[in-house]
Amino acid sequence: MRLDYILIGFGILLCLAGVGYLAGVYVKYLSEAGKIISLLLTVGMFAFLGKYFEGLGW
Amino acid sequence: MATKRKNLYLYLTLLCFIGLIVIFIVDGYLGVYDTLYVPMGEREQKVEADQWVQSPQYGMAEIGWGDKALFRYEVDNRQFSTYKADIEVSVWHSHQKMRDLLSQPMSIAPFKKGQFEWSIDTTELLPTGVSVEGRPVEYTVIIKRGEIERKVIFSIYGYAKVPPPPG
Repeated sequence: MRLDYILIGFGILLCLAGVGYLAGVYVKYLSEAGKIISLLLTVGMFAFLGKYFEGLGW
Repeated sequence: MATKRKNLYLYLTLLCFIGLIVIFIVDGYLGVYDTLYVPMGEREQKVEADQWVQSPQYGMAEIGWGDKALFRYEVDNRQFSTYKADIEVSVWHSHQKMRDLLSQPMSIAPFKKGQFEWSIDTTELLPTGVSVEGRPVEYTVIIKRGEIERKVIFSIYGYAKVPPPPG
């Protein structure tokens, strides 16, 4: 079970690093609509992730 | 039931993540982007694609009178199709066209870059020169690429002539 958590944590870190890299390089090319949708998706992503961990009992 | 809901949140998280990646690729990466390299005295300054979005008129080039200024214009075609357009570059002063610098069709293959160069001879534009005390004379370079128009204001400044040392 602990290994699962480690793997999930590692996966989340990799995903955040990937999105962070894309944001650093390409956010300047995004249109205004693209920026606001990205922001909403980021908020949604963290909100659902929070609910997922809440369901796990964290 | 609780496990299904728990997994639903995980799937929604993944969906948001994939959505983010898709937006970055479709809206951020794909498209046609242009970069202009303008002379700034002895240096060369880069005007990147995102700067055109913020301000379509980006005036910042500086050229000393008597110099030949080299401009480089790079078009990056990040599309799956060949990009075709006509490119026209001209110099303007006081809303009057002074001369054409470049006029040619361009065709750039998918995910390739096209580069165009032109030079401006300041002695042709201003044969009488610029006094050192006076303020620089400003000109506008207008780049038309299809329906897109970019403007760069450049100023020609004078040089102080230092007499050669005696002997």
